[in-house]
Amino acid sequence: MKGKSVLILLLALVFFISCRNSSKTSSGFVFPEADSIPLAEAEKLSAEAIADISNNIASPVEIANLLQVLSVPFSPDYLASAIDANKQPTAFAKALSLGILGADLGYLNMYEKTGTAINILSDIKKLAEGLKVGQFFDFETIKRLSLNKSNLDSLLFLSIDSYTRIDKYLRENGNGHLSTLMIVGVWIEGQYLATQVVREFPDPVLKDRIGEQKIILNDLIMLAAPYCNRDIEYRALCGYLQEIKDHYRDVKITYTLGDPVSVEKNGGLVIEQTETSNVEMSDEQLAGIIEVTRTIRNKLVINN
Amino acid sequence: MKIYLSFIFLLVSAGIMVHGQSSDPFVTNCIMNAGSDARYLKDFRVQLGKTVTPGEPRYKAQMSLWKNTKYRFSMCNSEDSEGHLFLNLKDDANKTVLSSFDPKSGKTYPYIDFICNKSGIYQLSFDFTGGQKGSGVGVVSMIK
Repeated sequence: MKGKSVLILLLALVFFISCRNSSKTSSGFVFPEADSIPLAEAEKLSAEAIADISNNIASPVEIANLLQVLSVPFSPDYLASAIDANKQPTAFAKALSLGILGADLGYLNMYEKTGTAINILSDIKKLAEGLKVGQFFDFETIKRLSLNKSNLDSLLFLSIDSYTRIDKYLRENGNGHLSTLMIVGVWIEGQYLATQVVREFPDPVLKDRIGEQKIILNDLIMLAAPYCNRDIEYRALCGYLQEIKDHYRDVKITYTLGDPVSVEKNGGLVIEQTETSNVEMSDEQLAGIIEVTRTIRNKLVINN
Repeated sequence: MKIYLSFIFLLVSAGIMVHGQSSDPFVTNCIMNAGSDARYLKDFRVQLGKTVTPGEPRYKAQMSLWKNTKYRFSMCNSEDSEGHLFLNLKDDANKTVLSSFDPKSGKTYPYIDFICNKSGIYQLSFDFTGGQKGSGVGVVSMIK
Protein backbone atom coordinates (compact mmCIF):
# COMPACT_ATOMS: atom_id res chain seq x y z
CA MET A 1 0.00 0.00 0.00
CA LYS A 2 2.83 2.33 0.97
CA GLY A 3 4.73 1.42 -2.23
CA LYS A 4 1.63 2.18 -4.30
CA SER A 5 1.33 5.65 -2.75
CA VAL A 6 4.99 6.39 -3.45
CA LEU A 7 4.54 5.28 -7.07
CA ILE A 8 1.51 7.56 -7.50
CA LEU A 9 3.43 10.45 -5.97
CA LEU A 10 6.40 9.83 -8.27
CA LEU A 11 4.15 9.66 -11.34
CA ALA A 12 2.47 12.90 -10.32
CA LEU A 13 5.86 14.56 -9.87
CA VAL A 14 7.12 13.37 -13.27
CA PHE A 15 3.91 14.61 -14.89
CA PHE A 16 4.22 17.99 -13.16
CA ILE A 17 7.87 18.45 -14.19
CA SER A 18 7.27 17.36 -17.78
CA CYS A 19 4.35 19.78 -18.11
CA ARG A 20 6.36 22.68 -16.75
CA ASN A 21 9.24 22.11 -19.14
CA SER A 22 7.29 21.32 -22.24
CA SER A 23 8.93 23.39 -24.99
CA LYS A 24 9.54 26.19 -22.50
CA THR A 25 6.05 27.46 -23.14
CA SER A 26 3.96 29.03 -20.42
CA SER A 27 0.20 28.96 -20.37
CA GLY A 28 -1.48 31.22 -22.89
CA PHE A 29 -3.71 34.22 -22.40
CA VAL A 30 -7.36 33.40 -21.82
CA PHE A 31 -10.38 35.51 -21.04
CA PRO A 32 -11.63 35.16 -17.47
CA GLU A 33 -14.00 32.20 -17.08
CA ALA A 34 -17.13 34.26 -16.71
CA ASP A 35 -18.49 35.54 -19.99
CA SER A 36 -19.25 38.92 -18.56
CA ILE A 37 -17.57 40.85 -15.82
CA PRO A 38 -19.80 41.28 -12.78
CA LEU A 39 -21.00 44.86 -12.56
CA ALA A 40 -20.05 45.08 -8.90
CA GLU A 41 -16.45 44.17 -9.73
CA ALA A 42 -16.25 46.74 -12.47
CA GLU A 43 -17.73 49.43 -10.26
CA LYS A 44 -14.98 48.83 -7.74
CA LEU A 45 -12.33 49.96 -10.21
CA SER A 46 -10.20 52.60 -8.59
CA ALA A 47 -9.23 55.82 -10.31
CA GLU A 48 -5.72 54.38 -10.74
CA ALA A 49 -7.08 51.19 -12.31
CA ILE A 50 -9.14 53.22 -14.77
CA ALA A 51 -6.09 55.33 -15.64
CA ASP A 52 -4.13 52.12 -16.17
CA ILE A 53 -6.73 50.72 -18.53
CA SER A 54 -6.64 53.97 -20.44
CA ASN A 55 -2.85 53.59 -20.75
CA ASN A 56 -3.22 50.02 -21.91
CA ILE A 57 -5.14 50.86 -25.03
CA ALA A 58 -2.76 50.63 -27.98
CA SER A 59 -2.00 54.13 -29.14
CA PRO A 60 -3.16 54.88 -32.68
CA VAL A 61 0.28 56.42 -33.12
CA GLU A 62 1.79 52.98 -32.54
CA ILE A 63 -0.52 51.41 -35.09
CA ALA A 64 0.24 54.16 -37.61
CA ASN A 65 3.94 53.69 -36.94
CA LEU A 66 3.61 49.97 -37.60
CA LEU A 67 1.89 50.71 -40.91
CA GLN A 68 4.74 53.01 -41.88
CA VAL A 69 7.31 50.37 -40.96
CA LEU A 70 5.42 47.95 -43.21
CA SER A 71 5.50 50.59 -46.01
CA VAL A 72 1.71 50.77 -46.12
CA PRO A 73 0.74 53.93 -48.00
CA PHE A 74 -1.62 56.45 -46.41
CA SER A 75 -5.26 56.18 -47.39
CA PRO A 76 -7.98 58.73 -46.58
CA ASP A 77 -10.54 55.94 -47.04
CA TYR A 78 -9.84 54.68 -43.54
CA LEU A 79 -10.82 57.97 -41.91
CA ALA A 80 -14.16 58.49 -40.21
CA SER A 81 -15.22 61.15 -42.70
CA ALA A 82 -18.89 60.45 -42.04
CA ILE A 83 -18.67 62.11 -38.64
CA ASP A 84 -20.12 65.59 -38.75
CA ALA A 85 -19.14 67.45 -35.59
CA ASN A 86 -22.13 69.78 -35.99
CA LYS A 87 -24.62 66.94 -35.92
CA GLN A 88 -23.76 65.08 -32.73
CA PRO A 89 -26.94 65.32 -30.69
CA THR A 90 -25.87 63.74 -27.41
CA ALA A 91 -22.88 63.79 -25.08
CA PHE A 92 -22.54 60.08 -25.89
CA ALA A 93 -22.14 60.81 -29.59
CA LYS A 94 -19.76 63.71 -28.96
CA ALA A 95 -17.46 61.74 -26.64
CA LEU A 96 -17.36 58.67 -28.83
CA SER A 97 -16.65 60.79 -31.92
CA LEU A 98 -13.94 62.65 -30.03
CA GLY A 99 -12.19 59.33 -29.44
CA ILE A 100 -12.64 58.15 -33.02
CA LEU A 101 -11.31 61.41 -34.46
CA GLY A 102 -8.43 61.36 -31.97
CA ALA A 103 -7.28 58.07 -33.46
CA ASP A 104 -7.63 59.53 -36.96
CA LEU A 105 -5.59 62.56 -35.88
CA GLY A 106 -2.79 60.24 -34.69
CA TYR A 107 -2.83 58.46 -38.06
CA LEU A 108 -2.77 61.75 -39.97
CA ASN A 109 -0.01 63.21 -37.81
CA MET A 110 2.23 60.21 -38.30
CA TYR A 111 1.81 60.43 -42.07
CA GLU A 112 2.14 64.22 -41.92
CA LYS A 113 -1.13 64.77 -43.79
CA THR A 114 -1.56 68.28 -42.52
CA GLY A 115 -4.41 69.47 -44.72
CA THR A 116 -6.78 66.75 -43.56
CA ALA A 117 -5.46 67.01 -40.00
CA ILE A 118 -6.58 70.66 -39.88
CA ASN A 119 -10.11 69.69 -40.92
CA ILE A 120 -10.24 66.99 -38.27
CA LEU A 121 -8.81 69.38 -35.68
CA SER A 122 -11.65 71.75 -36.38
CA ASP A 123 -14.15 68.92 -35.74
CA ILE A 124 -12.30 67.89 -32.59
CA LYS A 125 -12.47 71.49 -31.37
CA LYS A 126 -16.25 71.60 -31.84
CA LEU A 127 -16.75 68.26 -30.11
CA ALA A 128 -14.49 69.17 -27.19
CA GLU A 129 -16.26 72.49 -26.75
CA GLY A 130 -19.59 70.68 -26.89
CA LEU A 131 -18.43 68.59 -23.93
CA LYS A 132 -17.06 71.70 -22.20
CA VAL A 133 -13.49 70.42 -22.31
CA GLY A 134 -12.22 72.63 -25.12
CA GLN A 135 -9.91 74.43 -22.67
CA PHE A 136 -7.63 71.39 -22.56
CA PHE A 137 -6.96 71.39 -26.27
CA ASP A 138 -4.41 73.90 -27.53
CA PHE A 139 -5.89 73.96 -31.03
CA GLU A 140 -3.95 76.90 -32.38
CA THR A 141 -0.56 75.48 -31.42
CA ILE A 142 -1.43 71.99 -32.66
CA LYS A 143 -2.67 73.50 -35.91
CA ARG A 144 0.51 75.54 -36.33
CA LEU A 145 2.78 72.61 -35.56
CA SER A 146 0.81 70.48 -37.95
CA LEU A 147 1.18 73.03 -40.75
CA ASN A 148 4.87 73.56 -40.04
CA LYS A 149 5.69 69.86 -40.28
CA SER A 150 8.75 70.85 -38.33
CA ASN A 151 8.40 69.04 -35.09
CA LEU A 152 6.42 65.86 -35.14
CA ASP A 153 7.28 65.02 -31.53
CA SER A 154 5.89 68.32 -30.23
CA LEU A 155 2.78 67.76 -32.29
CA LEU A 156 2.32 64.23 -30.99
CA PHE A 157 3.00 65.36 -27.44
CA LEU A 158 0.50 68.22 -27.54
CA SER A 159 -2.18 66.09 -29.21
CA ILE A 160 -1.77 63.12 -26.87
CA ASP A 161 -1.36 65.34 -23.81
CA SER A 162 -4.58 67.20 -24.65
CA TYR A 163 -6.50 63.92 -24.82
CA THR A 164 -4.90 62.73 -21.57
CA ARG A 165 -5.93 65.93 -19.80
CA ILE A 166 -9.48 65.75 -21.13
CA ASP A 167 -9.71 62.12 -20.04
CA LYS A 168 -8.42 62.96 -16.55
CA TYR A 169 -10.72 65.96 -16.17
CA LEU A 170 -13.78 63.97 -17.19
CA ARG A 171 -12.97 61.16 -14.77
CA GLU A 172 -12.26 63.52 -11.88
CA ASN A 173 -15.46 65.45 -12.39
CA GLY A 174 -17.97 62.64 -12.36
CA ASN A 175 -18.00 62.10 -16.10
CA GLY A 176 -16.22 58.76 -16.22
CA HIS A 177 -18.87 57.52 -18.65
CA LEU A 178 -17.73 60.11 -21.21
CA SER A 179 -14.06 59.33 -20.64
CA THR A 180 -14.86 55.66 -21.26
CA LEU A 181 -16.52 56.53 -24.54
CA MET A 182 -13.45 58.46 -25.67
CA ILE A 183 -11.22 55.51 -24.86
CA VAL A 184 -13.52 53.05 -26.62
CA GLY A 185 -13.65 55.39 -29.62
CA VAL A 186 -9.87 55.58 -29.86
CA TRP A 187 -9.58 51.79 -29.63
CA ILE A 188 -12.31 50.93 -32.11
CA GLU A 189 -10.90 53.34 -34.71
CA GLY A 190 -7.36 52.02 -34.25
CA GLN A 191 -8.72 48.49 -34.57
CA TYR A 192 -10.65 49.49 -37.69
CA LEU A 193 -7.53 51.00 -39.23
CA ALA A 194 -5.47 47.87 -38.56
CA THR A 195 -8.16 45.46 -39.77
CA GLN A 196 -8.86 47.40 -42.95
CA VAL A 197 -5.18 47.61 -43.82
CA VAL A 198 -4.57 43.90 -43.18
CA ARG A 199 -7.09 43.01 -45.90
CA GLU A 200 -4.85 44.62 -48.49
CA PHE A 201 -1.51 44.07 -46.76
CA PRO A 202 -1.75 40.72 -44.98
CA ASP A 203 1.51 41.09 -43.11
CA PRO A 204 2.05 38.61 -40.26
CA VAL A 205 3.20 41.36 -37.88
CA LEU A 206 -0.01 43.30 -38.45
CA LYS A 207 -2.09 40.12 -38.11
CA ASP A 208 -0.40 39.44 -34.79
CA ARG A 209 -1.06 42.98 -33.57
CA ILE A 210 -4.77 42.48 -34.32
CA GLY A 211 -4.80 39.12 -32.54
CA GLU A 212 -2.98 40.59 -29.54
CA GLN A 213 -5.84 43.02 -28.94
CA LYS A 214 -7.44 40.11 -27.07
CA ILE A 215 -5.11 41.05 -24.21
CA ILE A 216 -6.77 44.40 -23.58
CA LEU A 217 -10.29 43.74 -24.81
CA ASN A 218 -11.43 42.46 -21.44
CA ASP A 219 -10.13 45.60 -19.71
CA LEU A 220 -12.06 47.71 -22.18
CA ILE A 221 -15.24 45.78 -21.44
CA MET A 222 -14.62 46.16 -17.72
CA LEU A 223 -14.21 49.90 -18.18
CA ALA A 224 -17.57 50.16 -19.94
CA ALA A 225 -19.41 47.70 -17.66
CA PRO A 226 -20.58 50.19 -14.98
CA TYR A 227 -22.39 52.22 -17.64
CA CYS A 228 -23.99 49.42 -19.65
CA ASN A 229 -27.41 49.99 -18.12
CA ARG A 230 -27.20 53.77 -18.23
CA ASP A 231 -29.34 54.07 -21.36
CA ILE A 232 -29.99 52.52 -24.74
CA GLU A 233 -26.83 53.94 -26.33
CA TYR A 234 -24.53 52.51 -23.67
CA ARG A 235 -26.38 49.19 -23.74
CA ALA A 236 -25.79 48.95 -27.48
CA LEU A 237 -22.11 49.82 -27.11
CA CYS A 238 -21.59 47.14 -24.45
CA GLY A 239 -23.30 44.65 -26.75
CA TYR A 240 -20.92 45.62 -29.57
CA LEU A 241 -17.88 45.07 -27.37
CA GLN A 242 -19.19 41.65 -26.40
CA GLU A 243 -19.68 40.81 -30.08
CA ILE A 244 -16.04 41.65 -30.76
CA LYS A 245 -14.97 39.61 -27.75
CA ASP A 246 -16.91 36.61 -29.06
CA HIS A 247 -14.84 36.71 -32.24
CA TYR A 248 -11.65 36.68 -30.19
CA ARG A 249 -12.70 33.77 -27.99
CA ASP A 250 -10.78 31.11 -29.95
CA VAL A 251 -7.75 33.26 -30.76
CA LYS A 252 -4.85 31.83 -28.77
CA ILE A 253 -1.93 33.74 -27.33
CA THR A 254 0.88 31.62 -25.96
CA TYR A 255 4.18 32.60 -24.40
CA THR A 256 7.68 31.20 -24.73
CA LEU A 257 9.84 31.79 -21.70
CA GLY A 258 13.27 33.37 -21.66
CA ASP A 259 15.43 35.86 -19.80
CA PRO A 260 16.18 39.35 -21.09
CA VAL A 261 19.63 40.08 -22.51
CA SER A 262 21.20 43.47 -21.82
CA VAL A 263 24.17 45.42 -23.15
CA GLU A 264 25.46 48.91 -22.39
CA LYS A 265 25.54 51.25 -25.36
CA ASN A 266 26.44 54.95 -25.52
CA GLY A 267 25.82 55.44 -21.80
CA GLY A 268 22.41 53.83 -21.96
CA LEU A 269 21.21 50.29 -21.69
CA VAL A 270 19.78 48.13 -24.49
CA ILE A 271 17.65 45.23 -23.40
CA GLU A 272 16.30 42.56 -25.70
CA GLN A 273 13.49 40.42 -24.42
CA THR A 274 13.89 36.76 -25.35
CA GLU A 275 10.53 35.82 -23.91
CA THR A 276 7.99 35.92 -26.72
CA SER A 277 4.26 36.01 -27.23
CA ASN A 278 2.76 34.11 -30.13
CA VAL A 279 -0.64 34.52 -31.68
CA GLU A 280 -2.54 31.57 -33.10
CA MET A 281 -5.35 32.90 -35.25
CA SER A 282 -6.81 31.24 -38.33
CA ASP A 283 -7.68 33.15 -41.50
CA GLU A 284 -11.36 32.54 -40.72
CA GLN A 285 -10.98 34.00 -37.25
CA LEU A 286 -9.20 37.03 -38.66
CA ALA A 287 -11.89 37.46 -41.32
CA GLY A 288 -14.52 37.38 -38.56
CA ILE A 289 -12.69 40.03 -36.55
CA ILE A 290 -12.27 42.24 -39.62
CA GLU A 291 -15.97 41.97 -40.42
CA VAL A 292 -17.31 42.54 -36.91
CA THR A 293 -14.96 45.51 -36.44
CA ARG A 294 -16.03 47.07 -39.74
CA THR A 295 -19.73 46.60 -39.04
CA ILE A 296 -19.60 48.00 -35.52
CA ARG A 297 -17.26 50.88 -36.30
CA ASN A 298 -19.46 51.93 -39.23
CA LYS A 299 -22.57 51.74 -37.05
CA LEU A 300 -20.90 54.01 -34.50
CA VAL A 301 -19.71 56.46 -37.12
CA ILE A 302 -22.85 56.59 -39.24
CA ASN A 303 -25.40 56.42 -36.42
CA ASN A 304 -23.72 59.42 -34.93
CA MET B 1 12.93 99.44 -41.05
CA LYS B 2 12.58 96.11 -42.84
CA ILE B 3 15.28 94.63 -40.62
CA TYR B 4 13.44 95.81 -37.47
CA LEU B 5 10.17 94.36 -38.74
CA SER B 6 11.88 91.06 -39.54
CA PHE B 7 13.46 91.05 -36.11
CA ILE B 8 10.10 91.70 -34.40
CA PHE B 9 8.50 89.00 -36.53
CA LEU B 10 11.23 86.57 -35.53
CA LEU B 11 10.81 87.45 -31.85
CA VAL B 12 7.04 87.02 -32.02
CA SER B 13 7.39 83.72 -33.91
CA ALA B 14 9.93 82.44 -31.42
CA GLY B 15 7.67 83.57 -28.59
CA ILE B 16 4.74 81.68 -30.03
CA MET B 17 6.95 78.65 -30.63
CA VAL B 18 8.20 78.67 -27.08
CA HIS B 19 4.76 79.35 -25.64
CA GLY B 20 3.24 76.58 -27.72
CA GLN B 21 5.65 73.96 -26.55
CA SER B 22 6.23 75.16 -23.07
CA SER B 23 3.02 74.23 -21.32
CA ASP B 24 5.40 72.02 -19.41
CA PRO B 25 8.92 72.85 -20.64
CA PHE B 26 10.55 70.27 -18.43
CA VAL B 27 8.51 67.49 -20.03
CA THR B 28 9.01 68.94 -23.49
CA ASN B 29 12.78 69.08 -23.02
CA CYS B 30 12.86 65.48 -21.91
CA ILE B 31 10.87 64.48 -24.99
CA MET B 32 13.16 66.49 -27.27
CA ASN B 33 16.22 64.90 -25.71
CA ALA B 34 14.93 61.37 -26.26
CA GLY B 35 16.62 61.44 -29.65
CA SER B 36 15.75 62.20 -33.25
CA ASP B 37 15.03 58.52 -33.85
CA ALA B 38 12.43 58.45 -31.08
CA ARG B 39 8.69 59.06 -31.48
CA TYR B 40 6.88 60.25 -28.36
CA LEU B 41 4.20 57.94 -26.97
CA LYS B 42 3.53 58.75 -23.34
CA ASP B 43 4.99 60.42 -20.28
CA PHE B 44 4.74 59.76 -16.57
CA ARG B 45 5.28 62.76 -14.28
CA VAL B 46 6.67 61.67 -10.96
CA GLN B 47 6.86 63.78 -7.82
CA LEU B 48 7.80 62.08 -4.57
CA GLY B 49 8.87 63.09 -1.09
CA LYS B 50 11.66 61.43 0.85
CA THR B 51 10.82 58.07 2.33
CA VAL B 52 12.29 56.70 5.52
CA THR B 53 11.93 53.12 4.36
CA PRO B 54 13.26 52.79 0.81
CA GLY B 55 12.07 49.59 -0.84
CA GLU B 56 9.79 48.94 -3.77
CA PRO B 57 9.54 51.91 -6.15
CA ARG B 58 6.58 54.02 -5.11
CA TYR B 59 5.09 55.47 -8.31
CA LYS B 60 3.36 52.76 -10.29
CA ALA B 61 1.57 52.80 -13.61
CA GLN B 62 0.64 50.37 -16.33
CA MET B 63 1.15 50.45 -20.03
CA SER B 64 0.70 48.00 -22.88
CA LEU B 65 3.84 47.22 -24.86
CA TRP B 66 3.71 45.41 -28.16
CA LYS B 67 5.86 42.76 -29.78
CA ASN B 68 8.15 43.77 -32.64
CA THR B 69 8.51 47.27 -31.24
CA LYS B 70 11.61 48.95 -29.88
CA TYR B 71 10.80 51.31 -27.04
CA ARG B 72 12.96 53.93 -25.37
CA PHE B 73 12.39 54.86 -21.73
CA SER B 74 14.05 58.19 -20.92
CA MET B 75 14.28 59.44 -17.36
CA CYS B 76 14.75 63.14 -16.58
CA ASN B 77 15.18 64.76 -13.15
CA SER B 78 14.38 68.30 -12.18
CA GLU B 79 17.35 70.24 -10.81
CA ASP B 80 16.06 70.24 -7.26
CA SER B 81 15.73 66.45 -7.09
CA GLU B 82 17.89 64.87 -4.44
CA GLY B 83 17.95 61.44 -6.06
CA HIS B 84 18.00 60.16 -9.64
CA LEU B 85 14.77 58.99 -11.21
CA PHE B 86 14.85 55.32 -12.13
CA LEU B 87 12.44 52.84 -13.67
CA ASN B 88 11.69 49.19 -13.05
CA LEU B 89 9.61 47.35 -15.62
CA LYS B 90 7.74 44.16 -14.82
CA ASP B 91 5.65 41.98 -17.12
CA ASP B 92 2.18 40.67 -16.35
CA ALA B 93 3.72 37.67 -14.59
CA ASN B 94 5.43 40.11 -12.21
CA LYS B 95 8.83 39.24 -13.66
CA THR B 96 11.35 42.09 -13.76
CA VAL B 97 12.20 42.80 -17.36
CA LEU B 98 14.46 45.78 -16.89
CA SER B 99 15.71 48.33 -14.40
CA SER B 100 17.52 51.58 -15.10
CA PHE B 101 19.17 51.40 -11.68
CA ASP B 102 21.88 48.89 -10.79
CA PRO B 103 21.89 48.64 -6.98
CA LYS B 104 25.26 46.81 -6.98
CA SER B 105 27.18 49.55 -8.78
CA GLY B 106 24.81 52.37 -7.84
CA LYS B 107 24.70 53.35 -11.51
CA THR B 108 21.58 54.94 -12.96
CA TYR B 109 21.05 54.85 -16.72
CA PRO B 110 19.40 57.94 -18.22
CA TYR B 111 17.65 55.85 -20.86
CA ILE B 112 16.93 52.26 -21.74
CA ASP B 113 16.11 50.86 -25.16
CA PHE B 114 13.84 47.88 -24.88
CA ILE B 115 13.28 45.45 -27.74
CA CYS B 116 9.87 44.06 -26.91
CA ASN B 117 9.07 40.54 -28.07
CA LYS B 118 6.14 39.81 -25.82
CA SER B 119 2.95 41.82 -26.13
CA GLY B 120 1.17 42.48 -22.89
CA ILE B 121 0.44 44.82 -20.04
CA TYR B 122 3.54 45.90 -18.17
CA GLN B 123 3.95 47.61 -14.85
CA LEU B 124 6.21 50.64 -14.73
CA SER B 125 7.53 51.57 -11.28
CA PHE B 126 9.43 54.80 -10.74
CA ASP B 127 11.29 56.15 -7.75
CA PHE B 128 14.28 58.28 -6.86
CA THR B 129 17.48 56.56 -5.79
CA GLY B 130 17.77 56.05 -2.06
CA GLY B 131 14.11 56.91 -1.61
CA GLN B 132 15.07 60.57 -1.91
CA LYS B 133 12.64 63.34 -2.75
CA GLY B 134 12.47 64.59 -6.27
CA SER B 135 10.44 65.34 -9.32
CA GLY B 136 11.02 64.05 -12.78
CA VAL B 137 9.46 62.60 -15.87
CA GLY B 138 9.71 59.22 -17.54
CA VAL B 139 9.10 59.46 -21.28
CA VAL B 140 8.19 56.43 -23.37
CA SER B 141 9.00 56.65 -27.07
CA MET B 142 9.13 54.28 -30.01
CA ILE B 143 12.37 53.93 -31.89
CA LYS B 144 12.14 54.08 -35.66
